[in-house]
Amino acid sequence: MAEMQKSWRDGALRLSTLPLLLLMGLFFVIPLIMTALLSFQGTQYYRLVWTWDTNVWTDVFSQIHYWKIMWRTLTMALVCTLLCTVLAIPIAYAMLHRLSRWSDQITLLMVFAFLTDAVLKTFGWVLFLDRSGVLNGTLEAIGFPPAAVNVLFSPNATMIGMVYNLLPYTIFTTALSMARIDRDLVLAARDAGATRLRAFHEVTLPLAKPGIWAGAVLVFVLSLGVFLEPKVMGGGTSPLAAELIRQSFETRVNWPLGAALTLVLIVIGAAVLAMAGVLAFWQARRGSND
Amino acid sequence: MASPIIQATGIEKYYDTYRALTNISLSVANGEFLALVGPSGCGKTSLLKILAGFEDLSGGSLVIDGQDMAGMPASARPTRMVFQKLALFPHKTVAQNIGFPLHLAKRPKREIDTAVRRMLELMHLKESYLNRYPHELSGGEQQRVALARSMVSQPPVLLLDEPMSALDAKLKKSLQAELKHLHRHVGTSFVHVTHDLEEAMMLADRICVMRAGEIVQIGEPSEIYYRPADAFVAGFIGDTNLLPAKIMQVGEGFEFSCDILKCSSPRLDAEQVAAGVAAGADALLMIRPEMLRLLALGETADCTLAGTVREYFIRGASIQYRISIDDTEIVMDVPGTSVLPAQQGDAVQLGLSLSDLFAVEA
Amino acid sequence: MTDQMEKRLADIVLYGSVIAVLIFFYIPIATLILFSFTQSRFLSWPISEFSTRWYGELLADRDFWSSLGNSALLAVLATLFATLLGIGGAFAWSRYKFRFQWSFRILTFAPLLFPQLLLGVVMLLWFSVLAGWLNLSPGLWSAVIGHVIYITPFCIVIISVQMQGYDDTLDYAAEDAGATRWQILREITLPLILPGIFSAAIFAFLLSWGNFYITYSLSGSTRTLPTFVFSGIAVGSSPIYPALATLTFLPALVLIFAVGRLRKRAARRRLSKVAEG
Repeated sequence: MAEMQKSWRDGALRLSTLPLLLLMGLFFVIPLIMTALLSFQGTQYYRLVWTWDTNVWTDVFSQIHYWKIMWRTLTMALVCTLLCTVLAIPIAYAMLHRLSRWSDQITLLMVFAFLTDAVLKTFGWVLFLDRSGVLNGTLEAIGFPPAAVNVLFSPNATMIGMVYNLLPYTIFTTALSMARIDRDLVLAARDAGATRLRAFHEVTLPLAKPGIWAGAVLVFVLSLGVFLEPKVMGGGTSPLAAELIRQSFETRVNWPLGAALTLVLIVIGAAVLAMAGVLAFWQARRGSND
Repeated sequence: MASPIIQATGIEKYYDTYRALTNISLSVANGEFLALVGPSGCGKTSLLKILAGFEDLSGGSLVIDGQDMAGMPASARPTRMVFQKLALFPHKTVAQNIGFPLHLAKRPKREIDTAVRRMLELMHLKESYLNRYPHELSGGEQQRVALARSMVSQPPVLLLDEPMSALDAKLKKSLQAELKHLHRHVGTSFVHVTHDLEEAMMLADRICVMRAGEIVQIGEPSEIYYRPADAFVAGFIGDTNLLPAKIMQVGEGFEFSCDILKCSSPRLDAEQVAAGVAAGADALLMIRPEMLRLLALGETADCTLAGTVREYFIRGASIQYRISIDDTEIVMDVPGTSVLPAQQGDAVQLGLSLSDLFAVEA
Repeated sequence: MTDQMEKRLADIVLYGSVIAVLIFFYIPIATLILFSFTQSRFLSWPISEFSTRWYGELLADRDFWSSLGNSALLAVLATLFATLLGIGGAFAWSRYKFRFQWSFRILTFAPLLFPQLLLGVVMLLWFSVLAGWLNLSPGLWSAVIGHVIYITPFCIVIISVQMQGYDDTLDYAAEDAGATRWQILREITLPLILPGIFSAAIFAFLLSWGNFYITYSLSGSTRTLPTFVFSGIAVGSSPIYPALATLTFLPALVLIFAVGRLRKRAARRRLSKVAEG
C-alpha cells in the first residue's frame, strides 16, 4: 500500500495528529516529567516539601531492601515472559493449523475472558485455589487429602495470576506473525524430507520470530507493573515493585520515593524496549543484505 | 482540420534525478484511438498518468480539449481513466459504481438511473447485475463495469492503463473486439497503454512506440509494421528476421549486399529504407516471417535463401519453421496444412519478393 | 518416529494446549458464576443450596447502580474519544509519511506498554497538581482522560491492521471520477475501514468497562464498578461480588455476540446474490 507523503502544512495530517499529540503531551508527557521532578523532592511529617535534593535517590540505590524488591520484580517478570512466550506457540499454531474453522469463536472466547475485570477474575482465582476452595473441595471429594493444593498466597500463585492476565498478548502477537507465513514454505521443507518437527523448527519457528519477540517484550514490560496479582493471590507476602509504589502513594505517603521507584521501572522498561527495537532493526538489516 | 483533442508539447518528467520522459510531443485527434506501446520502463504509464493528472509535468505543456492542464487536478480534468486493476469499489453495487461520477457531481437521481441503464445496454450487461457487487461478477463483466463507469459522464478522452493485461487469452480477444466496437460506436478519443504490440495493432488508429522515455515512432499500424523506424521497433513485434547487409546509394534508390540473401537484382526503392540509414553504412534488412515461402524444385523468386530446417512449431493456423543458414537462424511462418511441407533436417529454398524488404539502421 | 506417530503426537499437543488454555481462562470466571448462585452468606465450598438471592440484594444496592452508571458513562465517553483519535492516529501511522513520524509512533504507542498502575500514578500526580491550580478534584473527567490515553493505542493498532489491506487505487479511481478529498474519504475510505473502526470501538468499550488500574487511580471518590468491587473485597468477601461479576459479564457477552452475528450477516449478504440470474 502506497503511503502519502505529507508535510506539516497539510490539513489532513494536522487534524489526525495534533489533537492526539496534544492529549498525549498534556496528560502523558507532562506527568512523566513531573514524576521525574518529584523524585528530587523530600517529605516532612507526611507532607510534601519542595526541596531539591537527591535523598530519595541515594536511598533507593543504597538500601538493600529496594534492590531485593527490584530483583524480585525482574525475575518474576522474566519467568512470566518465558512461560507466556513458550505456552503461546502451540496455542497459536493450533488455532491456525488445526482449529481454523473455529478460530473466530476461540478468539472471541479468549477476548471475552481477557476483557473482563481483572479484580473479579483474580477474586475468582482466590475462590478456586483457596485451601477450602473449589479445587481442593473437588479433589477431596475424589479422595485426595484435604487442602492438597496449597498454592495460594505464595509466589507461585502470583505467577499463575500474572501468566493468566498476560498470556493473551503473546497468543495474539505470535498468531499474527504465524498467520503471515507462506504455507508453501513448510510444504517445501517436508517435501525435501524434513519431519514435521524439523520443518516446524527450521521454517515456522524462525519465520514467526518477529511476532514471538514482540509478544515477549510486550509481556515483560507489562509484567513489571503488576500489583494486583501479588497482593491478592500472592497475599502480599513477597511484594513487587508496583506494590511498593502503591504503598508509597497511599499508605506511607512518601511521594518522592514512589516517584523515584516509578522512574526506575520506567527506565528499565524503556531500556528493554530500546534494546529489542535495536535488535529488530539489526535483524531486518541483516536479512535484506543476504 | 479540426484541432486535436490532446496536444502535448515537449513534455519532460523527472522523478528526483531519474529522467522518465524526454521531449514528448504528440497530438491526439478528436475521436482517435491512440495506443502507447513499449517495454516496461519506457514511460508510457508515466505519460498516461500525466495526461490523467495524477502526476505533474516537469517541463513542457499539455492542452486537453482546448484547456491548458497546468495545475489542474485529476478530478477536474476532461479525462476519465480505466485502471489496470479496475479499481471497482467493492462496497458499492454495480449501479452505484457506474453512477459514481454523476453521484459526485450531485446529479438528480433520475438522471443517474437513466445514464446507468444506458451504460448497461452499451456494455451488454444484464439488468439483474444492477444490485450485485463487483466480486460477484466474472473478470470480463468487471471490465465492462469499469468501462461503463468511466464513460457514464461522456468524457471527451478515455485513458486506459493496460486494462486487459491480467486476462486469459480467450477473454482478452473477445474484450479487444468489444473495445474496438465501443470506440467506433461512441466516438470518444481513446489513449490506450499496452506492452502488447499485437493488441495495439488490432485496436488503434495510430500507434506511438516508446523506449526509455522517448517516442521512437508514431504512425498507423501498417506503417509501424511494414516501415519501422529502427531495429528496435522492427524487433518489437514477435519474431522478425533482421539480416545484416550493406546499403549503397545508387541514383534515386539503393543497392544492397547481403551474405545469405541471394537476389537477382538487389535494389531497394527510397521508401524501403528507413530515415536513419546512411549510405554506405551497415544496415539490417527486415523480413517478416510470413513474407517467406517455401520454394518447390525449380520455382524462382526475386530473392532466395538456402538452408536446413532446424525445428518447427505447429500453431494451428500457421506453422513456424526455424531454418539454419550458416550461423544465422531464419524464422518463417507458413499457413497451416495437415501435411507438413518440410521436415526437420530437410534442405530447403526460401523465396521472397523484393518489395517485401525494408532496411533499418544497424 | 514415523510420520503417523509424529502427527498423532503433534495433534495431542496442539489440540490439548488449546483446550487446556480455554479451561484455564475460564476457571475463575466459571468459579464466580458458580458462587453467585449460593444461598449461604459465606463463600464456602461445597455449595449446599442454590439461590438467586444475591442478585436480588445486588440489584437493590444503591451504590451498585450508581457505580454501574458511572462505569457505563465512563466507557461511552472513553470509547467515543479513543475511537475518534484512533482513526486519525491510524491514518497518521500507516497511510501518511511525514517528518518525525517515528517520534509520533513511539509517543502514541507508549501508553500501551506502560505498566497500568504507573500510568495511573503518574497521571494522578499531575491531576492533583492541576486540581490545586484549577480547583477541581479528580473524578470522572480524569478517569476519562486516563482511559483515552491508555485505550487509544489499541484503537490505532486495530484500525491500522484493517487499513493494511486497503487498495489505494480506489482513491485514484474516485479522484479520477471527480471526487474532492473530502468526498473520497466519505464515500470510499471510511466505508471500507468501517469494520475496523467498529471493532476498535467495541474493544475500546470493553477495555474501559473492565479497566481497573487506571480507574482506581484516577476516579477519585467517584465510584465505578471496579473500585466498588475492590473496596468491597478488601472489607469482607460476600457472594454479592460473584453475582456482580456475572452481571458485568453480560454487556461484554452481549456485545461480542452481537458483533459476531453482524459480521456473519454481512458476509452472507455478499454471497447470497450469486445464485440469482
